[in-house]
Formats: sequence, C-alpha cells, structure tokens
Amino acid sequence: MTNLDRRNFFKLAGASGAALATGTAGSQQALAGSLKIPSTEASGLDFSPTTGKQRQTIPSSCWQCVTRDAIVGHVEDGRLKKIEGHPDSIRTLGKICAKGQAGVNQVYFPDRILYPMQRVGKRGEHKWKRISWDAALDLIASKLKPLYDAGTPELFMYQYGRHKGSQSSIMHDFMDAFGSHTIGTHTSVCEGPKWVGQESLWGGMYDNWDYDNTDFVVNFGSNQFETHTNHIPTAQRLIRAMAERNVPLYTFDVRLSNTAAMSTEWVPINVGKDGLVMLSMVNVIMNEGLFRKDHFKYMRVSQDHKASVDDKIAAVKAHVAKFTPEFAEKESGVPADKIRDIARGFAKAKAACVISYRGTVMHFHGADQERAAMLLAAITNNLDRAGGRVMGVGAGWKHPKSEKAKVQKGLDIVNGFPGEAAFPTHQVSQQNLPMIKDGQNGRPKVYWASCNNMAFINGNNNEAEEVLKDENLIPFSISSNIVYDESSQYADIILPDVTYLERWDYEDMVSPTGVAEYYIRQPMIKPLGESKDQGEIFAGLAERIGFKLAYTTKEDFVRQSCNMTPGVKEAGGFEYMKKHGVWHDKNAKPNFGFFEAKVDVSGDNILLDGKTGVYWNWKKSGAKDEADAKAKGYLGTTNAKNGYVAQDIEGTPRLAYPPNTSFLKSGLLDFYSDNYASKGFPAFPTYTPTPEHQKMGKDDLHLTTYKVAVHTHSRTAHCKWLSEIKHDNPAWINSKTAAERNIKDGDPIKVASDIGEITTTAHVTEGIIPGIIAISHHMGRKHSGIYGSGKSSPISGGAAADPDAKNMWWKKHGSHPNSIIPNSSDPISGGQRWMDTVVRVSRA
Amino acid sequence: MTQTKTPNIDRRQLLGGTGAAVAGAVALTTSSGEAEAAAKAPRWAMVMDLRRCIGCRACTVACKAENDVSLGRFRTVVQEKTWGTFPTTKKGFLPIMCNHCEGNEKDKVPPCVKVCPEYPGERRKWPSPSGKKIRYRHGATYKRPDGLILIDKSLCIGCGKCIEACPYGVRSFDPFVKAGKKPTEQAADKCDMCTHRVENGVEPSCVNTCQGRARIFGDLNDPDSEVSKLVKEHNLKTPNNVLLHEEGTNPHVFYIDPDNVLKTIYKQRTKGKLDHFVDQIT
Repeated sequence: MTNLDRRNFFKLAGASGAALATGTAGSQQALAGSLKIPSTEASGLDFSPTTGKQRQTIPSSCWQCVTRDAIVGHVEDGRLKKIEGHPDSIRTLGKICAKGQAGVNQVYFPDRILYPMQRVGKRGEHKWKRISWDAALDLIASKLKPLYDAGTPELFMYQYGRHKGSQSSIMHDFMDAFGSHTIGTHTSVCEGPKWVGQESLWGGMYDNWDYDNTDFVVNFGSNQFETHTNHIPTAQRLIRAMAERNVPLYTFDVRLSNTAAMSTEWVPINVGKDGLVMLSMVNVIMNEGLFRKDHFKYMRVSQDHKASVDDKIAAVKAHVAKFTPEFAEKESGVPADKIRDIARGFAKAKAACVISYRGTVMHFHGADQERAAMLLAAITNNLDRAGGRVMGVGAGWKHPKSEKAKVQKGLDIVNGFPGEAAFPTHQVSQQNLPMIKDGQNGRPKVYWASCNNMAFINGNNNEAEEVLKDENLIPFSISSNIVYDESSQYADIILPDVTYLERWDYEDMVSPTGVAEYYIRQPMIKPLGESKDQGEIFAGLAERIGFKLAYTTKEDFVRQSCNMTPGVKEAGGFEYMKKHGVWHDKNAKPNFGFFEAKVDVSGDNILLDGKTGVYWNWKKSGAKDEADAKAKGYLGTTNAKNGYVAQDIEGTPRLAYPPNTSFLKSGLLDFYSDNYASKGFPAFPTYTPTPEHQKMGKDDLHLTTYKVAVHTHSRTAHCKWLSEIKHDNPAWINSKTAAERNIKDGDPIKVASDIGEITTTAHVTEGIIPGIIAISHHMGRKHSGIYGSGKSSPISGGAAADPDAKNMWWKKHGSHPNSIIPNSSDPISGGQRWMDTVVRVSRA
Repeated sequence: MTQTKTPNIDRRQLLGGTGAAVAGAVALTTSSGEAEAAAKAPRWAMVMDLRRCIGCRACTVACKAENDVSLGRFRTVVQEKTWGTFPTTKKGFLPIMCNHCEGNEKDKVPPCVKVCPEYPGERRKWPSPSGKKIRYRHGATYKRPDGLILIDKSLCIGCGKCIEACPYGVRSFDPFVKAGKKPTEQAADKCDMCTHRVENGVEPSCVNTCQGRARIFGDLNDPDSEVSKLVKEHNLKTPNNVLLHEEGTNPHVFYIDPDNVLKTIYKQRTKGKLDHFVDQIT
C-alpha cells in the first residue's frame, strides 16, 4: 500500500502552508487554449474557474464528522474555495463525502459568531454585547480561580461533543492542570453500547472491516453508505468490493436506507431484533457444523476458562439452541429460510464481515446485541483476520503534558443516576443535565460546553433547554461555538471558536487496513474575525488562574507533538507534516492475528491466576504483596489489568486479548462474562425483548431515527449546500400503516409519545416496515442561522454577508424527533435507547 | 500506441478503481505526440457506473464548491427513486449532468447550440494536444472540437433559449454573472466538465470526489482510455445506456446499467420547468 513515486509526484511539498506561489502548475501547465490530459497524478491541484490561476493547496484534515479524512484545501486570494480528499491518504484514498465538500460553508456563513459575546438580558432573551477577549478571559478566570484556590476544582464542568486528536489532549491536559474530572462526553448518545459490548470481549478496540479481502458481508443496523464513524475509508472499499469482486452485501434494517438499497438484498427486520437474528445465525452455523474451530481456544463460553474446544462447541450449541430460525422469524419478521441462507453463505465464505451499528445497539440491552455480533464473527473465525471484522488501527501520538494540579476531583454526575447503568465506561451523557437538575450528586458552578449542543442532541431536549436556562442550576455557563444554537442561546458568555479549517491539530482516526495513518490539521486561512482556538484560550486562562501549561499555542502543541512522536519525528517532524499532511510507516503490515503471539512469562513477579488463566505481574497491578495478590486473585485486585501479561491458551502463554480499558476482563473473549453475570445481566449473549415493546397497543408504532448522507446530527444545518439538499424531514411510514390511519403522502401528521408530541408530514413509502415510523434527526432547528433554521441569529458576527443568501429558496426546516424521545438508558452500558420509543401517529 | 508507461503502477493498483486506472492511461497518449490517437482531438466523455453510485451527493456538492454554483440551481444532481412493493422494494440513484451531446447525425449540432442567437459566430481555431489546429464555430453556446459544449458568458445575451431547448434541462441562469452582451440579463450556465481543471491535467471535481468511482471521465478517441474500454466492455453505445436517445442528441454521458433501472429512475424535465434538476433527499 505504499508508493514513493506517487508521493514524490504529488507536489504538496511546494504547495504547503503559505509557500506555494500561485499561477503555474509547473510541468502540468497547459499551453493557452490547448488541452492537457487529465490524470490522477495531478489530483491534489485546483484552478480558478474564472481566472484559470492555480489555487494554493494546503494539506489538512476534515472534521465535519468523526471520520476526520485527510484533505487538501484550495485557497484563492486568501479565501478557501474548495476542499478535496488528500490523494496520498492511505485511509481515504483521496476521497471525501458531501459533508466534507461543504466544509467551506463552515467558514463562510452569514450567521457565524466571530467575537466574544456577553449576555446582557435574561437567559433566552437573546440580548448580547460584544466584549474583548481580555474581558472574556478575565470574566471566566474570575469564576474559575476561586474554585481552583478553594480546592473545589470539580465544580468546573467541561462538556464536549467531538474532541479528538490533539483537541482532546489539550482539553484533558487543561482539566488535569486545573484538577477537575467533571468532564462530560457524548458517546452514550452515539454508539456507547457497542463499545461496552466489545470491551467485555476483545477490549478497547474500534472495529472496522477488511473489505479489501472479504468475500461476504452481513450488515445489521448500519447505514454505512451514507454515514458511519469511519465512513469514507470503509464505505468506498465496500462498494468497490461489491462492484469489482461481486462480494454480496445483505443489509438488515427497518428502512430502505441507501445502504439497504445498494445491497444485494435488503432484509427488513423488526425493531430491536438484530441480536436475535445473529444468534439464530449462530444456531444454524453450529447445528450444521459450519463453524470454524480456530478461534474457539480464545473464547470463553462458560465459567470454565479451561474448557476444551469440544466442550466449548457443545456449550455454544446449548446456549443458542432456543434461537431457532423459526423462533427468530416469529420475532423479527425475517423468514427462517432467509436466515439459514445468509448464515450458510456467511459461514462458508473464505472471509466474511459482520457489521453492526446504531440500529443494533441503541436499544435495551444494546451492549448484549453487540456481543452477539462478535460471537458470529468469532465462531466463523472472522475476528481480526484478513477479510473479517478487524481492529481499526489509529496513530499513537505523543504530546507534551502540563503539570497536574495537586487536588484532583470530579462530580459523580456523568455516569447516570445511581443504579442506572452497570458499565458506563462511555458515560451516560444524556443524563448529565437531568442529574444537574436533580442535584443529588452536586452541581457545577461553572459549565463550559464546547462542540456540544446538549439541548438538541439528547432525548427530551426541551427539558435540557430548561436546565440550561436556569441560573439556579447552572450559575455560570460558557459556550464555545461558531453558530448560535439551541444550547448557546442560554450561555452567559459565548466564545467564538475557530472552524476546523482555521486551526492546528494532530489527528488519529483509524485505518481499516491495519496500518496507522498519522496526519495533521493546519489552518487553510487566517481565522475569521476574532475567532480563537481552544488551545490559546486555555493558555490565557491558565496564566490568569496561576498555573502553567506545557505549550503556548495550539500550533506549538502540535509542533512539539510532531517532534516527539516516533516515526513522524524521524520523517522530519513538524516541518514534514506541514508540507505533506500525512505520514505512515511504509514498512508496517496489518497486525492481524496479533492475539496469537507467544509471551515469555518467566520474569519476576508473574503469577498464573487459577480462576481466569491470566498471567499477571502482581507488582505492576499495585497489589500490596505477593500473598495479597494471590489471596485476592486477578479479578479481585483493583488495578490487576495494569499487570496483565498473557493468557494461558491450551498450555501456552499468549498475548490474546488484553484488557485495555477500565473494563476488567481476562485475556479471553469473555462470551461468558463474570462481570455481566455479577451485575445480574446475561453472562452469555442472549435475546432480551425491549420491555416497552412487550406492551404495545394495536395502534402503537415504533419510532426510529436515522442520519442521511448530507448531514451530521447537529453541526451542519448552517452549511447551505447541505441544507439545500436536505432541510425537511418528513416521517417515513409504510403505505399500509398510513392507510390504516387515513394518512396520505404529504399529509400533516402528529407523532405522540409518552413525553410529548411533534407535528410533521408523512412520507408514505414502501421502503419501511409496516408498524414503524422513521424520522431523521438533523432537522427542526430552533437556532442554526438562516440556512439551518430560517432565521438569522441574534448575534451579528460581522461576517461578510453571503451574496448567495438571497438565493435561499427553502422554507421548511423540519421537526426534531428527540423532543418526544425520553432519556432512557441501556441498563448494561448506559447508552441512550434511541430506537425503543413507542408512539401514536394520526393525521394532524 | 503509447511508448511511455506511467511510472505509477503501484498507485494505480492502489486506487484500483477503473476511473483512476483510466485517467492514467489517458495521460500516456499526450506526452508521446506520436501516437495516432493524439493526432486528433480528444473526445471527452463521462461514464456513470450505476453499480457504484451510492447516492452520497459528494458530486453534487463538489460541483457547487468548485464552480461557485448559486443556491436554487445545480450543474449536476443525483436523482433517486423508490419503486416496488414492500418487502421487495427497490431504490436507485441516477447522477445526471450536461450530456455534452454530439448533436444529431445530420448537422452534429446539439439543440442548445442550435438555438443560440450568437451561434454560429466567429470562426476560431482550437489547438489540439498534438499541436494541430482544428477549426470550429464559436458562439455564446458552442461545441468545441474536443466535444465539450461550453458557454462563453461574455457573448451571452441571456435570452434563455438554450435553457428551454435542452431536453435534459441541465441549464439555468447564473444569478452571479451578467450576460456579457446584454448586461441587463443573467448569463446561462451549466456543467463545463470543469474545463479549468481538465486543461490543467486534472479530472473534473465530481469525478475526483466520487468514492464509489461511479464517475469515470476520459477520452473516447483514445481506445486505451478507461471510458473507451468501458463503452466497449459494457456495450454502452446503445439507446438504453444514454438518456433520451430518442431526442437524437447523441449524448456523451454513458450509463453502465446492468439492472436496467435507468429509465425507471430518470425523471425528465417538464417543459418550461427545471424542478427535476434540484437535488433533494426525502
């Protein structure tokens, strides 16, 4: 996957930073009037359609979604005109999506916030005044310093949405230097249950799929061709595998998404039944002897970690015996013969991928459904193998670290209410504001939200608005943002953030090919107005509060990181990355099958734990002494995972699957999980019906939500080229279900749940299962500038008015389904149960 | 026919997609100058592989950005349609744009060019890559010897006849640019195959961003180009692999359509309207 010629040919070296002279394309320059011949060798270049001049090209990285593709930006006379995929990226192969193409809109939209703003009216009155950065930082420091000085740093809460790469590092660095662990995230509204399910098995992996080498793909609940957390690197490889190698793709979904439409077959499946169908596929594969034994020695399927492979096979058969295809058909609506056919195809393929995502996991016991997907992969030896479900491999950056504060404390408000979730390793962020309202575990005095619109992205978002509005609950509220939105409208101070096209970062999103890509983000243009990177803001605050950070600016942070990260450093460090944008180790090979590595366990302090078969270093685990370690055992020692060395695999110590998250496990794939069992959850993957679905009346419908290809959940509505294509979100409803309610296509309808009601329009279609209503969750913006909400923001940022605004033609802005979805968590993982809500639908 | 081989075999394999490999092949012909194909003008064309279009709209938006296309109109869109009855429902995607028509057999002038009051205008010479100069008639809308149908906005009078005449309805008024010969009106606008990129050896913007490699651009006059190979391999010069063959326009956007869905998905323009050419996701 490497190509030196290509890299040399691509003249980003000359095009980087401000170094590139415009006007000629060197040897590529055409004679006036003549035609040069298009070639991919010249990709990465762009020219002005009006003047023909070559544009300045700067390598950087996208941030429209978490995929964070490496990109190049084309700048003309100081204005960013165009974004393309970075042609040398081994992850993205030079491609980006519609959202990435619309990144230009993030910089130049008429409602962009460009100056620090202080609230002057009551919260929600939309009255603001512009203040200086010094005044803004002085004010924030005046709220933070007393907390720091009093030894109550936990009363400062930082709530973020997408902070990745160095943006995450500087935030954690600042919070550590301040001493607050009260940090709220958003993963539990995204796909938290997926990770909690996986952590109980192979640890903290991020699963991807090796489509380049696969022969068969089964997709549960993922709209991979429209939207995925690693969309461009994976989706393009999948469509090419299908077109070029005739790889079949079967998509189980309640709705005919673009992914389902482009699949070999769309297999409609009832809501919440993905795990059951997977288990019935396991049933078929086990009973028909189509399984492969290879991975069984790494699986634990009963209490006995030393069970023989034959015993394990018998145990898996017994576990899934009741999940016959006929039983699965009854519950899921998928014909039993269809399940058999797909199971056989999957098992017989040389290599096969099972995909699972939000449709599978954002349910009651969603984490357990993910475990079923892992089981299907493991029994067919399609786990961490070429062509199978593999680990995404990301960059391992080193970065400078500031001195931590002596006092380190956090409020227990980010993991849900007491007893709500057994393993909230990815938090329970939908309950952060409800917990602040409740107050039983304390409330922050200073609340800082960055890249997170709590009053739009969570369930029951109207309640979230009420909490943000109440000064008794949140005395001082800061918002870092580029657009006035549902949450920042209640802030006391709004800090104008830079867009991702104006800032420095290192980035690390995974590659599905097993070789990590190191890449950076650098400003394509000077930040507009007085917008400022969070790194600079942290540095300014640290100085005012009275501690020092290990960097002065974000650029400095990224420079230091490039110059201290092995590999990148030797390649030329920061200067190399500025020029080229991307770097990978050309000698690196995919690490498939890493779990088989033999491990030397002859060193000092290494014990073999009888209960789990784990070799562990008791000293590294922090046990008091050897006797204490032996007495408590591996599972009974608090930090035992720090001492993990190897797993006994049929008498040989092997690396296996080490515990690498806060979830304690053995080195085996714990399909039988002591941890789950200890909290009263199924020890082995099973089928647990959603309680609400068991008591549905005959007129009740399921509500599900989804994403479309041209929007992220909450951060693209102000992008005009995207909202022009998708600005309304009529509810998908099957013609039969609609007819029963006398609803016709385009009719206004009411959708009511136990917590509220919305009015929308009906999109009557054959592309959805009867009994379900599906509403995309991007629309219904109360505030997101003229393009997103139809009304200009109350804050005039001073951005040059977009001459295109007068051409805006759409009047509809949709409705937001989250306001009728309660915040309700998967009791295993704490994941928000987006797909479990029951509604009544009628003509409005 | 080509003497030189691209130094970049690995890269082409890496990209693997037909589009990439093709464009590389095209690149060979120019540099030699001795090749037979290079002695005449290229004939640019686009192949749309409907097996690979996933309806992502990256092309639609890439075009908007590249060409600063105003809101309310498009130079390329993806049409989509759902048909059939649950549970055997189907949905398909159809990227459409200017077909850069050759024109009918008789006069080889496409309808949009034919109706342009400024055509035929000045006689001009167009230098081919081999250095040969090829004569053609200029106009506000005209056909260049390389097959591209282009608009010279400095000559446009904003009459809108070409917008009406195009059976595909891919033209519209550009609210940002005045008609050069009648500045009280707006100039007509449409896909120009990113000539500003093509002339600099770079593929059109929509092709560059297409993750499925559903859009393949190249020279039909070069038998080694990917478009030529695809046209041959999939037998695309048939009435069923282009849009509105019956109009006699001889379109040069070809569709690979093994499932025969092109006519099912395609929504034609209604006379006097362009609402079929606004990209919308339901």
